[in-house]
Order: sequence, then C-alpha cells, then structure tokens
Amino acid sequence: MAACTVYSTQSLSTNCSISTPSKTQLSFHQKQVVFYTTSRRNSKRGSNSGRSYVITCAASDQQTVVIGLAADSGCGKSTFMRRLTSVFGGAAEPPKGGNPDSNTLISDTTTVICLDDYHSLDRTGRKEKGVTALDPRANDFDLMYEQVKAIKDGIAVQKPIYNHVTGLLDPPELIKPPKILVIEGLHPMFDSRVRDLLDFSIYLDISNEVKFAWKIQRDMAERGHSLESIKASIEARKPDFEAYIDPQKQYADAVIEVLPTQLIPDDNEGKILRVRLIQKEGVNFFSPVYLFDEGSTISWIPCGRKLTCSYPGIKFSYGPDTYYGNEVSVVEMDGQFDRLDELIYVESHLSNLSTKFYGEVTQQMLKHADFPGSNNGTGLFQTIVGLKIRDLYEQIVATRAETAVAAKA
Amino acid sequence: RIQPVRAAPDKISEKVVESIKQAQETCADDPTSGECVAAWDEVEELSAAASHAKQKEKDSDPLETYCKDNPETRECKTFDE
Repeated sequence: MAACTVYSTQSLSTNCSISTPSKTQLSFHQKQVVFYTTSRRNSKRGSNSGRSYVITCAASDQQTVVIGLAADSGCGKSTFMRRLTSVFGGAAEPPKGGNPDSNTLISDTTTVICLDDYHSLDRTGRKEKGVTALDPRANDFDLMYEQVKAIKDGIAVQKPIYNHVTGLLDPPELIKPPKILVIEGLHPMFDSRVRDLLDFSIYLDISNEVKFAWKIQRDMAERGHSLESIKASIEARKPDFEAYIDPQKQYADAVIEVLPTQLIPDDNEGKILRVRLIQKEGVNFFSPVYLFDEGSTISWIPCGRKLTCSYPGIKFSYGPDTYYGNEVSVVEMDGQFDRLDELIYVESHLSNLSTKFYGEVTQQMLKHADFPGSNNGTGLFQTIVGLKIRDLYEQIVATRAETAVAAKA
Repeated sequence: RIQPVRAAPDKISEKVVESIKQAQETCADDPTSGECVAAWDEVEELSAAASHAKQKEKDSDPLETYCKDNPETRECKTFDE
C-alpha cells in the first residue's frame, strides 16, 4: 500500500488531492475522499461497494523531482543551497549519526547530494594519473546515472561518500528518495543520461575576475596561501574547467552570471557586482521573471525618493536575448542595496516571481541577511530561482496526480 | 562501535600548507604536466574544505551548542504556549 501523508500546511500540499469522484454510486455517503496516485494501485477501504473510500496516494514512487546545480568549487554553491532549502522551509542538516564528513544535506522536503561523491578516482588516484576532479575520467557517470535514476523512481540507494578532508572514498550512506533531490557539483549536466533525468537545471557562472576576487577573500587569511598560489591554482584548473564544466551552461534552464560592475569604470575589486539571471523560454512549468512589461527591453534606475542608494547606485535591465541558440529572458541587476528592507520596492516591480504572498522575496532575503550576496543581485536572483523551483515542483506534482487520475478513468 | 570523528579544522589548514608546497615543487619542472595540474586541483579542494570548516565553526553559537546537549537547564528552557 502506498504510504500517505496528508499535509495541512499550505506549502507543498499538492501531493495528495482530495475531491469527490464523478463516476461512483452516491447511495450511502455523499462524502468520499479520493487521493490520487501515480502508482495506479488503489487500496480499497470499507467493506461494501456503496461506501468505498478509494485511497490512492501520492506515494513516494515516481514523485521525486530532480534539480541540477552546476558550479565550480568556491563559487557559492553552498550559499545557494541554503537559500533554496530555506524557501521550502526547515533547515537542511547532514544525515544524523552517519559519517561526519558526509557531503549530503537533508531537510523535510529536500535532499542535496554533492556529485563529488561519484569520483571514481580518489585524491591519490588522480595525482597518479595526472588528472583533476574536473576531468570526466575522474568521475563515475554510470553510477551517477543509475543512482539518480533509482532515487527518481523511488528507490533508496547506497551512495558513496567522497571525503574532502582525507581525499578518500568512504563507505556508502543510505539515501532515501526525497520530494526534491538536488544534485550539485561540477558535472550535473555533463552526461546526457543524467541530464535527461533533471526536471530543472541551474548553472552558476562566475566570471574570471570575480572568481579571482572571491578566492582571494576566501584564501588569503589561510596559511600558506599567497596571491601567486591562488593565481596558480586558478590557472592550472582553467583548461579543464573550460573543456568540461563551462560548456554545461548551454543546457541550463537558468544561468546566474556574476560579472564585475559597469557602474564604476575599470572596477576590479569584485565587491560591487553585475548579476544576470538568464532564463530559458519555453521550459515546462517555468515562466521567466520579468520587469514591468514582458518581452520589452527596459533599463531602470530605481534610486530616488523611494529607494536610498549611495554611490554607485543600482541599475536594473530586462530584455529578450539569445543564449547558445536558445531564446532567453534576461533580468540584470548592477550595484548593491544599502537597506535590505527597501528591496520590497524592487520586488513590487518584478512580475512572475511565483511568490505565495506579497513581499516573500524580501522576507526570504531578510531572513538570511548574513549570507554572502544578500545586498546584491546574487542573493536576489538565487532567492527568485528558489521560488521558481518551488512553483515548478508544485506544478509537476499536480500534473502527475492529474495524469494518474486520467489513466484510471 | 567506534564513533566517527570529524577531522579538526587546523589539521586541514596544515594540509593546505603542505599541498601548496607540494604543488610548487611538482610544477617547478613542468608547469603544464598532468601532475602539476592535479597538484593545484588538490590545493583548491583542500582550500574549499578548509573554508567550509571555518565557516561552520564561525556560524556555531556557543549558547546554542550548549543548549543542544542540555535543553533542560535554566538558560536553555523555552516554552511554546
């Protein structure tokens, strides 16, 4: 029998639907509860046919929605993950009682797995062969495909753990199928079989200048590191990055591009950012965010009486574009907020945000005001993408329930 | 049963220092070889791990850590009414 939970909360309640059926005898009871399922298996309760409660539930099988997030290491994947899981409510934590160096994060709705766990070569192995972790030869895409597919089909798997501290492959951990599975790492869209399993994909595209500035911020305090060592590390990984990681962005449904600002001429500090949210058109269950008027090309400086901005100010742009031969909509924000609560003014001019109430974007941003990027476009667009994924999830689940009903009728 | 223990952050720091030294040595002969590139990739991996560990330490609140283990003490009791 399918395991069923009926949620009374307003969010994510769509995996069970309740309605009165049209084709049953209504002799005894008018009240009938029907839960729809994708598993086509009804479990009938009640003894006589007149008052049969057909309980078919959104079982765990074939319910998992899979999201892919691609980015280089040290490019804010973990911050994005924390914003995303926060949209779904509840904190994401490592599996309890397991390997303390596990890379997995689990919350009520979401499980995030790190694709480094599918390294086929450990740190010594890569050194012997002279390949980086970016190289496809260091990764086991067959296992990645099999396990992601199994989870999507509702089957728990024993996933290996790549230990980032020791550089070894640790004994596996059990991953149960969640409502939403996020696979994050270097290669979520590299293998075409894995790519086809994704219901939505995101690529975090950090320009070289910004990447350099971020890594200096991250590593300069670290012993042993110098400007030269940071530069050398970036340069050494660049050929593999360009060959294997960067091309994945053409497959992404949403790309968050982080560039140096254009508001200050010749700025290369990497503190003020120009962030672009590139959204693919025509993706199922995903309607791009727009500014003022859908499809127009608009440039907007919100600073003035209603929004406090200090130098260099804020500039938004929006418009249609093409990206790797695909039709896209691009929303861009250059500059940073001085007062986060005034973000509501910007939010009120953006449409298609998939919020559940007015001000949800601002509320989410305020909730995590201490995260990196909260005062610029990275935080804003990551939050928006989080809301879009929630919307996508709810639509997919609703559609599956409908098709299951149609199949039974 | 032996409880698994997380590696201490300072130990990662030491590893970062070590890996940088090693990468510089490996690359002294041939800066484009596979070994050199793999060595710098290791530096990146360890630096990322070190920064994650540091972040985790910074995020933890001493009182909250204490209250996780001792929820019954006076300074930790909370009531939902």
